[in-house]
Amino acid sequence: MILRFEGVSYSYPGVDTPALDGLDLTVHPGESALVAGSSGSGKSTFCRACIGLVPHFHHGKFAGRVLVDGRDTRRHPVCELFRHAGLVFQNPDAQLFNQTVEAELTYGLESLGMAPSEIEKRLAWAGNLTELDSLMERPPHTLSGGEKQRVALGAILTLRPRLLLLDEPFTHLDPEGTEALRRILRTLKSEGITLIIVEHKLHSIIDDVDRLIVFHQGKIVAEGSPRQVLAGEISAYGLNLPPLSQLFRAFGLNRTVFNVDEAIEELKTQDLLRSFSTRLSDQMTKPSNRFTAVPHPIVEAEDLSFNYEGHSVLRGVRLKLHKGECVALLGRNGAGKTTLIKHLNGLLKPHRGFMRILGRDTRKTPVSELSRHVGFVWQNPNDQLFRPTVREEVLTGAKIFHPYDPVWCDELFNRFGLLPLLDRSPFSLSEGQKKRVSFAAALAAKPDLIVLDEPTAGQDELFRSELTGFLARLRQEARTIALVTHDLEFAAEHANRWLVLSEGQMIADGPPDEVMADSTVMAKAGLRPTQRFQLTQAIKHLGEEN
Amino acid sequence: MKQSTFDPRSKLIFAIVATVLLMTFSHWIALALSLGILIIIVLFLHLVRPWLKFLENLGFACLTFFIIAWLAFDLITGIVSGLRLLTIGTAFFLFFQTTPPNRLSNGLLKMGLPYPFAFVLSASMQFVPVLIRRARNIRDAQRARGIPIEGALGTLLHLPALAGPLLIQAFKFADELAEAMEARGFGISGRSFRYELRFRWIDWVAVAISFTALTIVLSIQFF
Repeated sequence: MILRFEGVSYSYPGVDTPALDGLDLTVHPGESALVAGSSGSGKSTFCRACIGLVPHFHHGKFAGRVLVDGRDTRRHPVCELFRHAGLVFQNPDAQLFNQTVEAELTYGLESLGMAPSEIEKRLAWAGNLTELDSLMERPPHTLSGGEKQRVALGAILTLRPRLLLLDEPFTHLDPEGTEALRRILRTLKSEGITLIIVEHKLHSIIDDVDRLIVFHQGKIVAEGSPRQVLAGEISAYGLNLPPLSQLFRAFGLNRTVFNVDEAIEELKTQDLLRSFSTRLSDQMTKPSNRFTAVPHPIVEAEDLSFNYEGHSVLRGVRLKLHKGECVALLGRNGAGKTTLIKHLNGLLKPHRGFMRILGRDTRKTPVSELSRHVGFVWQNPNDQLFRPTVREEVLTGAKIFHPYDPVWCDELFNRFGLLPLLDRSPFSLSEGQKKRVSFAAALAAKPDLIVLDEPTAGQDELFRSELTGFLARLRQEARTIALVTHDLEFAAEHANRWLVLSEGQMIADGPPDEVMADSTVMAKAGLRPTQRFQLTQAIKHLGEEN
Repeated sequence: MKQSTFDPRSKLIFAIVATVLLMTFSHWIALALSLGILIIIVLFLHLVRPWLKFLENLGFACLTFFIIAWLAFDLITGIVSGLRLLTIGTAFFLFFQTTPPNRLSNGLLKMGLPYPFAFVLSASMQFVPVLIRRARNIRDAQRARGIPIEGALGTLLHLPALAGPLLIQAFKFADELAEAMEARGFGISGRSFRYELRFRWIDWVAVAISFTALTIVLSIQFF
């Protein structure tokens, strides 16, 4: 075996609740395992225990034994274990600390005192595998999220560890980046490296792993082959199931399917193709997915262009958002999505063309005035927390806009489950709770338009369900929602319209199904249709053939 | 980044000697000549554009020095003060432009500095752009909810809204970074270097010229 946990319990210093609670686990060489569970279930602590950071770096109360490649982590420091087990952490920025990509990849080898000739050999191997050859001279901080992720992986791979752990590697990746990482992981698996991948988005990788391990409150509550685990009762553990498995469950079908071919096969076997297709179409046309535009848009942009450091980031963008609609802004990393949403409240001003919010030209209206009408929920809620209590944090923006509505703010405290937290410091909250605080803060001034930046990134299924409820309430209140996301399943479920950006240009604007049906647009933007859409199309083709 | 043929150690000695010399020059002609030599090196290394960008920041400090010294003493003292800062700044601009931080830290290690100190010196430069980007994100997030962090006065008045999240993120970032470094063998003994620094004859010549110039100038000045 490559990894063994024997009755491992661990509590962080000053915390009574154990992060790991009596773990027993054996992982064999060459296996690939996916570790899943809700936020705070102990997944990241488990990764740290695998490479000795728990207990050596974090201290705290540790009981039991972890053996990595036969070495007891209590007796061997991290600097001895790191050549046997490597961990790619969640935040790529905080693990890249060298001047160039090349220096990043060779750092661990230099730590080991390796000879330059061997360093060259391993650098070439890892650089080629992680597709970093053309980026070797670049400073890591100038790279995109996906490239940084590959550098972090390459920096561990050069050490050729027998066990490789990745903590939520797909969180910030666009569909192309996800596919590139999956390709690399498949190669590593074929080379016999043991893989342990922690991930919320199960469908990103579940097809490629041998084993699924489910964590809940520091314990392993289910493990086995992915199909075996997903077939069991796991609804209490906050797992974001693969879309087709969710769909089958919703339609009362017990079989666990991961891809379209399997789904078709199963439907054929059970002779359910026709009835399933009808129910799918009914669901696509449910009232929440329909939207009838009112004549006057609340956001209007014409020929909007923006340059940054000599590069054209947005080119001739035309955009209209109507009251009460939910729009998803899609495209690969660097396509210009963040730049475009920063125009929605004047944080950025167009260099050519214009943008009007409720008739106000953003070039002539201050941000403080526009932010009364446009609320933002950013991907990282920590970017805005600075007040001593949750109550003050939520009310900060609202109080700037006199007069603020206390009844509405009380309603928000209630809606986002913040009533028991009002006098707590926002810094003491979990990441999911912080996200709810930032949601309430963005709505406190009763904005007409609310912009959600990657709302599902790094979030578990419990938060996704809550988010679904929040969005439904916003639509009932006829607020306009703009979602920026890589999560196409989520976008297809909630948005009535998709806007697709590619290289700063708006290349598609229409209902999700129409956009997904345009293969040229999807390929140009690096997007893949949702599994539900693929299934619908496959059933349709089968119907035409018959 | 331009990489020179000199070892970072010889360049560091050269830059320190240049600083001492420029501090001892009290005549504006000597400083103007030194500046001329430095500008020729800037031109030779095709570093005009980054140097002009560097001057956008240093120029203000030079001008301030010039005005204060002029008002406090006389015009010549003002010119000497401004020129001195400009020449010393340009000498170190050339040093940092031609010395990648990792080579600098390797050089410092060879000079006997403990590894953690040498590493911190090179890594700190690496994280400046990362923290600037974070500060921008925080400013945008706060402005988006109506806090007017705009201009110097707005930033000052709403400093907690900017500094609070930035400090907390910086502490968290430092913690995550320490973990990642530990997991890549930071600070263990027996470290090797992919590019071994070699002190060649050209470096010895540079050091000899530096010390000869220093001896001559100090002799003229003080004896």
